[in-house]
Amino acid sequence: MRRKSGLFQFFAYTFLSLFAIINIVPLFWMVVNSFKKEQEYAADPFSFPKVLQFSNYAKAWEVANMNVYFLNSLIVTFVSLLVTVLLGALAAYFLSRFKFKLQGMTYGLFLLGMLVPIHATLIPIFLIMQKLHLLDTYWSLILPYTAFHLSLTVFILEGFMRGFPKDLEESGVMDGAGVYRIFWSIILPITRPALATVIILNFIYNWNEYLFALVLITSTELKTLPLGLANFVGIETASLTLQMAALTIALIPILIFYLLLQKQLVNGMTAGAVKG
Amino acid sequence: MQTLRGTKFAIFLGLFPALIIYLGIAIVPIGLSLYYSLMNWNGIGSMSFAGLDNYVKILSDDTFWLSVKNNVIIMVTGLVGQIPLGLLLALLLNRGLKGSGIFRTIGFMPVVISSVMVSLIWGMVYNTEYGFLNSLLGMIGLDGWQQNWLGDSKWSMLSISIAYIWQNCGLYMVIFLAALQNIPEEVNEAAELDGATGLKRTLRITIPMVRGTIMVGVVYSISNSFRVFDLIQILTGGGPAHQTEVMTIYMYNSAFINMRYGYGSAVSILVLLFSLIVISLINRLGREKDA
Repeated sequence: MRRKSGLFQFFAYTFLSLFAIINIVPLFWMVVNSFKKEQEYAADPFSFPKVLQFSNYAKAWEVANMNVYFLNSLIVTFVSLLVTVLLGALAAYFLSRFKFKLQGMTYGLFLLGMLVPIHATLIPIFLIMQKLHLLDTYWSLILPYTAFHLSLTVFILEGFMRGFPKDLEESGVMDGAGVYRIFWSIILPITRPALATVIILNFIYNWNEYLFALVLITSTELKTLPLGLANFVGIETASLTLQMAALTIALIPILIFYLLLQKQLVNGMTAGAVKG
Repeated sequence: MQTLRGTKFAIFLGLFPALIIYLGIAIVPIGLSLYYSLMNWNGIGSMSFAGLDNYVKILSDDTFWLSVKNNVIIMVTGLVGQIPLGLLLALLLNRGLKGSGIFRTIGFMPVVISSVMVSLIWGMVYNTEYGFLNSLLGMIGLDGWQQNWLGDSKWSMLSISIAYIWQNCGLYMVIFLAALQNIPEEVNEAAELDGATGLKRTLRITIPMVRGTIMVGVVYSISNSFRVFDLIQILTGGGPAHQTEVMTIYMYNSAFINMRYGYGSAVSILVLLFSLIVISLINRLGREKDA
């Protein structure tokens, strides 16, 4: 191991702690204050609440339509995820396990998508959805979410499937199984680790998405969590503690998700950034 | 790897759904954007060919150039804020200190939280009357330092930049840390034998070893800076008086607030063009240094 001087350690820890504090304090401050009465907060934003005001949460859940937004986010996120991973896995299977004309080009085409900035497609997508009468429906989000995450999904899955030994399918072929049967019962099961990565990535990207939702969704009943929250905070300016309670409700699940799946999330999002 | 024969149709069938969604919604629209950008259209009436009119109008609009300036500020913030800070944190975490894992977990947290949430939380930090920052300044007796952080154009871009660094620097930290951990142990041992230690080794050996990854980080940071939208849209909406507007917000406003689809499309093409130009310049610079 390398030598470490005491002085170096002292500075390293000071710097890292400062960084950690700056990362945590805004969230911590928000969570603490979300339990206060509005007057209590206005009087001193740095004290701990005298009594935990859980009523803030009940009220925020109600006023901010949190149940509607959560449900919408869940639906849009999971349907997009399912479609993306299924279609992506299928495409990756054919791209990695078969030889055919235009194979390289097809693969390249899929990769190109990682370079496409969303805003360069925003206006045409809005107009396409309008033409298809899909504007302000779940599909107006599911389709773009799928389209924009197919690239990364195909990229990760193709890379993984390509590594399987060549004779893997042979037993299936000898049993007379068709191409799709082999995909479903031989290839897909052993792709699980990579599937887990793309599922987690798709989940977090879809769950957090804002711009498409902002442009394509207008009805309150269809708003996703990010859009609904942004709206709520914009309207409910009178009560900061209520805003904080609403934000905390949205924050907790994602923090739990992060802490549970930290390794895959960190590795996946980093790979996504570097490859994109 | 011809494992199966006579499967052309199966292959086509398997690729078709993914391709159609992907091409139809992620690729074709870029071409459409280019097409609309040459049109004069408000979405209701009929389209009329406008040639390069939209581009000429955009390039002679001061508000557009203000948004370009703000994009440059965000880009520079990424380059002088996120990248060095991320690298420094990665170098510290790479030293095998106890508790590194906790710092990494905390550092990456803002990357996982949605940009909407990050923006809303920072909006509360910067809130003029009851925000964290002004309250803190008041508490330690620095009332004179209290500012309208987002509403005063002297401070608004700085405030946004700080939130932008906070949001992303953990990502670069992790990217660089992964590269640092890939440096073979022999390299460090050889450096040790040559008497290169501490800062000297870091500057002469460690950092050059991860130069490739730093370049990737730089390119990513730049392309990200052109895509910035959520953070500013929610914190200030581009205000006060366009002072914090970036190109994506300018595009959003032209198309979806003022219903000028042709004009907005032209903006989006310009954003794409600018980012491609800057990135290819950076790539060329990086390659020249290699030679």
